[in-house]
Amino acid sequence: MWHRHSCLCSVFRRVWIMKTTLIDSSVANVANIARALRVAGAELEVTRNPKSIASAKKLVLPGVGSFIAAMRWLTENGIDTAIHNAVSNGASLLGICVGHQLLFDSSNEMGATSGLGLIRGEVRQFDGILPVPQIGWNRVAARGPLFDGVENGVFYFVNSYAAMNAPDEIARADYGGPFTAAVQRERVFGVQFHPEKSSAAGLRVLRNYIAWT
Amino acid sequence: MDVIPSLDLLDGQVVRLLHGDFARVTAYGDPEAVLDSLDVPRGSRLHIVDLEASRSGKPVETEIVPRLASRGLRIQAGGGIRSLADARMWIEAGAEKVVIGTVAADAPEVLRSIVNDLGTDRVIAAIDVRDGIVRVAGWERDATASLAEVLARVEELGIGEVLITDISKDGAMRGPSFALYRSLKTKMRIIASGGVSTISDVVSLSRIGSVGACVIGRALLDGRIRLAEARARVATPNAIPERIIPCLDVRDGRVVKGVNFVDIRDAGDPVECAIRYEAEGGDELVILDISATDANRSAALDVVHRVSESLFIPLTVGGGVRTIEDFRALLRAGADRVAINTAAIRDPQLIADCAREFGVQAVVLSCDAKRMGDHFEAMVRGGKESSGIDAVEWCRRAEELGAGEILLTSVDRDGTNSGYDIELLRAVTSIVKIGVIASGGAGNVEHFRDAIEAGGARAVLAASLFHDRRLSIGDVKRFLASEGIPVR
Repeated sequence: MWHRHSCLCSVFRRVWIMKTTLIDSSVANVANIARALRVAGAELEVTRNPKSIASAKKLVLPGVGSFIAAMRWLTENGIDTAIHNAVSNGASLLGICVGHQLLFDSSNEMGATSGLGLIRGEVRQFDGILPVPQIGWNRVAARGPLFDGVENGVFYFVNSYAAMNAPDEIARADYGGPFTAAVQRERVFGVQFHPEKSSAAGLRVLRNYIAWT
Repeated sequence: MDVIPSLDLLDGQVVRLLHGDFARVTAYGDPEAVLDSLDVPRGSRLHIVDLEASRSGKPVETEIVPRLASRGLRIQAGGGIRSLADARMWIEAGAEKVVIGTVAADAPEVLRSIVNDLGTDRVIAAIDVRDGIVRVAGWERDATASLAEVLARVEELGIGEVLITDISKDGAMRGPSFALYRSLKTKMRIIASGGVSTISDVVSLSRIGSVGACVIGRALLDGRIRLAEARARVATPNAIPERIIPCLDVRDGRVVKGVNFVDIRDAGDPVECAIRYEAEGGDELVILDISATDANRSAALDVVHRVSESLFIPLTVGGGVRTIEDFRALLRAGADRVAINTAAIRDPQLIADCAREFGVQAVVLSCDAKRMGDHFEAMVRGGKESSGIDAVEWCRRAEELGAGEILLTSVDRDGTNSGYDIELLRAVTSIVKIGVIASGGAGNVEHFRDAIEAGGARAVLAASLFHDRRLSIGDVKRFLASEGIPVR
């Protein structure tokens, strides 16, 4: 299962690929994700311009740190509306880590904060049976096109919050009890883990997203 | 694997004996109050030992059983059961099973009569072992049969469960006898007992195929293990893989490796090494900058940047981090996590400041520990100088301050290939909840297993072993998997 990254992606560079638009969120590890997307074969645009985001066909929403700060940044810059416009115009969207959490209706971080409402359910803090944050690799049981070839992959997580048993769940992991590791609702995807830090398995998920139509 | 709380009873009270010595008693109080404090849910198995009976041969604590059974607990009672009449007393009092020790080893005909009368599923055979020899009668004398003979005899009777206690480990918090449990040849479900003192001990036991349950006494009573957490961890023993972390010691932009922190050799280009390690299955990469001067530190930043550009696993960088600005510069250069060592000892607040600024997941305490008589001291300046601070206490303090993980290096073992310092690892892993990365001393695949299994490490680091290609990361992972330890 081990390949050099260049080998993983060479096949896909030969075929035509839709441009991927990475939202240049100030609270995120954008550079790492950009690099991973490029290695996974994306023709990449990195932007925080709401017009470019609204007209994008394939979006990636990164995020680390606090849900509230990330959501505030989206609304203050008109990016929440731009994302909604893009999705209603048929764009696909992949949220990563806190970007995945932002897709949900709400998070209970500091009371209740509304999210983008593109995925049903609520993000909650782990119940404290195991130490939080979860920092490390965890085995995921997944299905669907995003996880093609890595249905039982191991991915790298850094999180204190997660959705539990979300209706749109496509991948599940266990950390002192089951939690939702990834979701899909029509063209909107979210992964709780860091694909850009999950070696070949993570690059495979990104490649699957880039190739998905 | 089932996790079974265990209460030793003497004069109606919950007690512990150190090394089975009736002269060394610690009292914990009334059984029901103890069960409340341990949060033992309905439906749990509960192991009780009638200590007076184990010595005198006459059950005296049977009246407690109906009270415990009324809480929905499934009681397995032991201690001094030497006749069918004794066994019946416990079952009639409401115990689900009886735990038969002395006669299992000494009087097979009595054990047979108990099994015939009560049925095999009502009987757990108990064998106490010290240094591989079966011990009986409240641990005060050797049995006449060998361990293998006793096991074979019990299995022949159709008994499904055998409780094996290593009494040299019991109550001493030094960890269970993993090697003993691994070596046992039996089809029976083994209940491991003795020495279980950390969550990691419970997880490690659950990975040994023949071990079906473990009993925990003192570690629950002392609050070292929470029952709910232990049960959660063993419910999904394979979910969280243990990590193998290759380390690059970098000086002046080149990978080097020293023995005992001196005698440094050149070992190659860091980017090439990093790519090879990820391809081999490294779960994370550590870069330790051992440059001597500030000028060379900016060379190290460049190394971090170049390595991070080629790497898709987490990258931890340490060495020479003195300020929050140094920390930030390494994160900007591409590190996911930064290890702080000497500077944190001089100014512990640096840990708290960095945790607040960058999140606990980014903060790794790097502790170089050296044995000094009966304790370990935290070393500074690349392991060359003692700080005078107790290393174990320092790790506990760092967790409190906000470190997300501890990179614990044995200065004594570093570069010796003689194995990780298990005693040092246990001393730290038994008092912190955050992960500990074992470092210093790797020489063969068993060393990696022991650091995880007995040392309680959540990750194991090695440098020269991988550089010199004496072992590959794949070799280590294949061995760990064959020993039941989950790897990616």
